[in-house]
Amino acid sequence: MEKSTLFVDDEKLLKDKGYDDHFHEHHHDEDPYQSNFITKYIFSMDHKMIAKQFLLTGMFWAIIGAAMSVIFRLQLGFPAESLTWLKPLLGKWIVVNSQGVGHLSTEFYYAMVTMHGTIIVFFVLTAGLSGTFSNLLIPLQIGARDMASPLLNMMSYWFFFLASVVMFISLFVSTGPFSGGWVAYPPLSALPQAMSGSGTGMTLWLISLTLFVVSVLLGGLNYVTTVLNLRTKGMSMWRLPLTIWSFFITAIIGLLSFPVLVAGFLLLMADRSLGTSFYLSEIFINGHALDNVGGSPVLYQHLFWFLGHPEVYIIILPAMGIVSEVMSTHARKPIFGYKAMVISIASIAFLSFLVWAHHMFVSGMNPFIANFFTIFTLIIAVPSAVKVFNWISTLYKGNLTLNTPMLFAIGFVSMFISGGLTGLYLGNSAIDIQMHDTYFVVAHFHIVMGVAAFFGMFAGVYHWFPKMFGRFMNETLGKIHFWGTMLTAYLIFWPMHYMGLAGVPRRYYKFDVFDTFSQFSELNKFITVMAIIAFFVQLVFVTNFFHSMFFGKKVRSKNPWKSTTLEWTTPILPGHGNWPGKLPTVQRWAYDYGKDGFDFIPQIQPKLDGETSAVH
Amino acid sequence: MAHLSYEEAKKAVIRGLIILGAITIIEVIIALLAKGHMIEGFHMNKLLYGFLMAVFSIIKALFILGEFMHLKYESKALRVGLALPFILILWAIIAFVHDGNSYLQRRLDSGNVIPVEMPPVPVLPAHETPAEHGEHVKK
Amino acid sequence: MADHSTVAEAHHEVDYGPAWKGADKPLKAGYGKLMMWYFLLTDAFTFSGFLISYATLRASSLTWPDSDFVFSTFPGGLHHMPLIFVTLMTFVLIVSSVTMVRAVQEGKRENKNGAAFWLGMTIIGGLTFLGCQAWEWTNLIKNEGMTLFTNPFGKHTTDGVYINEDGSEGEHFAAGANYIVHRHHGQWAPKKYKVLSGPEKGQVKYQAFGPREFGALFFVITGFHGFHVFSGVVILFIIMLNVISGVYVKRRNGYEMVEKVGLYWHFVDLVWVFVFLVFYLL
Repeated sequence: MEKSTLFVDDEKLLKDKGYDDHFHEHHHDEDPYQSNFITKYIFSMDHKMIAKQFLLTGMFWAIIGAAMSVIFRLQLGFPAESLTWLKPLLGKWIVVNSQGVGHLSTEFYYAMVTMHGTIIVFFVLTAGLSGTFSNLLIPLQIGARDMASPLLNMMSYWFFFLASVVMFISLFVSTGPFSGGWVAYPPLSALPQAMSGSGTGMTLWLISLTLFVVSVLLGGLNYVTTVLNLRTKGMSMWRLPLTIWSFFITAIIGLLSFPVLVAGFLLLMADRSLGTSFYLSEIFINGHALDNVGGSPVLYQHLFWFLGHPEVYIIILPAMGIVSEVMSTHARKPIFGYKAMVISIASIAFLSFLVWAHHMFVSGMNPFIANFFTIFTLIIAVPSAVKVFNWISTLYKGNLTLNTPMLFAIGFVSMFISGGLTGLYLGNSAIDIQMHDTYFVVAHFHIVMGVAAFFGMFAGVYHWFPKMFGRFMNETLGKIHFWGTMLTAYLIFWPMHYMGLAGVPRRYYKFDVFDTFSQFSELNKFITVMAIIAFFVQLVFVTNFFHSMFFGKKVRSKNPWKSTTLEWTTPILPGHGNWPGKLPTVQRWAYDYGKDGFDFIPQIQPKLDGETSAVH
Repeated sequence: MAHLSYEEAKKAVIRGLIILGAITIIEVIIALLAKGHMIEGFHMNKLLYGFLMAVFSIIKALFILGEFMHLKYESKALRVGLALPFILILWAIIAFVHDGNSYLQRRLDSGNVIPVEMPPVPVLPAHETPAEHGEHVKK
Repeated sequence: MADHSTVAEAHHEVDYGPAWKGADKPLKAGYGKLMMWYFLLTDAFTFSGFLISYATLRASSLTWPDSDFVFSTFPGGLHHMPLIFVTLMTFVLIVSSVTMVRAVQEGKRENKNGAAFWLGMTIIGGLTFLGCQAWEWTNLIKNEGMTLFTNPFGKHTTDGVYINEDGSEGEHFAAGANYIVHRHHGQWAPKKYKVLSGPEKGQVKYQAFGPREFGALFFVITGFHGFHVFSGVVILFIIMLNVISGVYVKRRNGYEMVEKVGLYWHFVDLVWVFVFLVFYLL
């Protein structure tokens, strides 16, 4: 059925119905937030600029993290080939043998794997995803001038920046970056003499991550209080777009889980530097017994995963929120089951704190209590399935616009289903004994929280790029990016399931001494080739991003996607304070698409004559 | 304490001091009683003792939160919002301690008891005797 | 559908829907106070992490010294005063909390001198507590020899009898009895004893050290709490200077800063309730 477009004079609505908070009376003449280059672009307190800073830093790290995976995949896929050509980049980490064949040194292989995990999990998918979009969208979509505390917001970015600098330095120390896995289990992390990366590399890793926690906490305090206190008139909690709900709950998870990691890290620092033995007991190095006795390495694992598991929801929930919003807009349909979506986000968040030990089924923890962790883990499937059902129902009979953001949103759902299903296997403690530490696990978490979260991020970047830079990203390059990523992601990770079922262990340097795994050497090559292609497809995105920033098609109207939410009532490139005059007031929920024969009705539009009454 | 007059509020402060002080004294008295310092040979059941101490501490904590930090007079939403996360802590306590206990069982079952740390073997001059500190030994 | 703009104009009364009037305070607290509350919530989780770690390591240790045996000295060379000194420390902290409440009350009345005076009293209370802690640490480290790596407080797992230097039998003890390994001229001087129960009956052994986690956890956790007290004192001092200089008189939210730092100070007291419970009572 053809929908008619409602004519909305948003300027007039803002003027007539808007809410005057006298913002601009305090900020006339010279705007202290944007008066010169340094306050505008570097030490900016404007949430939109901070969002861009988070995004660019995240992209920088994403390229490094992805390049690392290419390097260790080369070693893994082509163990016989010479990597001497990488010597100009990696220097002494390429070990050349007597035949002149160069290999990645084993220490550096582990360092690459560790850094790849740390960088992607914390710096890209936590700071780069939640940091970018929480900052950009929370004030814009709730109708606020800025965050509750712009100063703390700025400090949040700069603590992240400091963390980045320290981590970047750790890549270049002569003993190499930390190499004991991104989870940093003791004893490898607790004993500086354990391996070469456990010395300076680990010290820098700990400093960096501690600074990172400060950044997350400062950001999280701001997001929570802003959403609670700074909503504009009419924006009740049940009228918030799902993006804001997901950022709000993500921030709460971060505030509750990272502090426990701080406690674990402080004990680890004491073990490393002060000589205590909280996590150490009965350890031999080079045949000599250390005098550290009485500690428990499992305690660290508990403390770490008390953060670590909520952390994967810190990564995926913002992507879920972005996907809900993008999907509803481009399907021209209200999101199916809005309240169910909110409740499932909240229950996922709650359950995420009860299940941490499913990462530790084979660590030597008690098998009895593992049963409870299994049950709680499997319960998470319920709200996750509710969300998937709602996304699919939103798509059903929708008037889909298959542009790049929409494609990535649909790709997200595909990835989330594929990766989520294998989670059911791994959540069972009995099956996990067979599957743990194999490529099955690698495939599971890369699909469900790696690729899926990246898809959410890409959907968000393509969708809100016009709001950030006033230009569109190139649609053709975007589609190449999507199909390239979608195909290669599945071709990389799908085969890994079979390798994992056959028992191929993760994190191994090479498999040629195991007869039973030799059948996978061709598959390994294939995966590596796909990983390289995937990497270059991402460079298409980066090129598109920077090219469009300066030369992309200009946005001509304030609301290019015909979306209902408040950010599209601001000027094309909003200045500080977001709305030049009054603040908008909210008259309805965020998803009035295709209602009463209208294509969409924005949130600022008061009830129309003859409009069927809305629930919200 | 917005609803109290200034004089009443001042009195309430003194009352708070007395309540907190009294609970602390009761706690210490029960502790000394339970550990056999008050009545020769009397020891309290450890579970009961732990339960009592936890209850008293929680009462103290709630009092500080409610009166001193004014939480009693804040909105219900704020109170509930701050209280709910501690459900997670409750589960964490159960899981962590249960697993810590199982770790000890494993150490004992494997026969691989934690190596007892010995002080360096004493080299004492013949005329010195360390026996004079014997009074520190407690039954 | 061309003239819907006129339709929109027909509705001049604005319907905000369910209750939310905007720029309101849904939790009846400004964002500054909310941030302080949520910060304290995160800090509470850090301390929970620490105290749960304590419980876990204690549960995975074979023995654990009794607090009333370890903490039984009092300044002035007094012994056999179990938990008395730490009770005093607790009182100091409670009193400083009470003076803080008074400071907040005076702040609410905009009484500059009153607020400054009671803030000063709170600072004195905080410093006294830190002084007590310094004495406690010094006593444990210097006199009793407990450090991050060594814990001289042990507990017998068997019955036994001490053997004197001349070979004669000394005092008897039962399983579960606490002891402290003494030092003599800077050397550890563990006493010899004969085991009287269990599979090792009849053997002669030396006193062993207690679980070293006991000492390490004590110093790390009370140290972390002491760091909070210290930073609290510093912040209180800054706020007191601000009060005296009259900054808050001019501000729109008046003495809310005093209230916020008060929340932090009470939180430090609140944490001590649980540190006291875990280390000294249980």
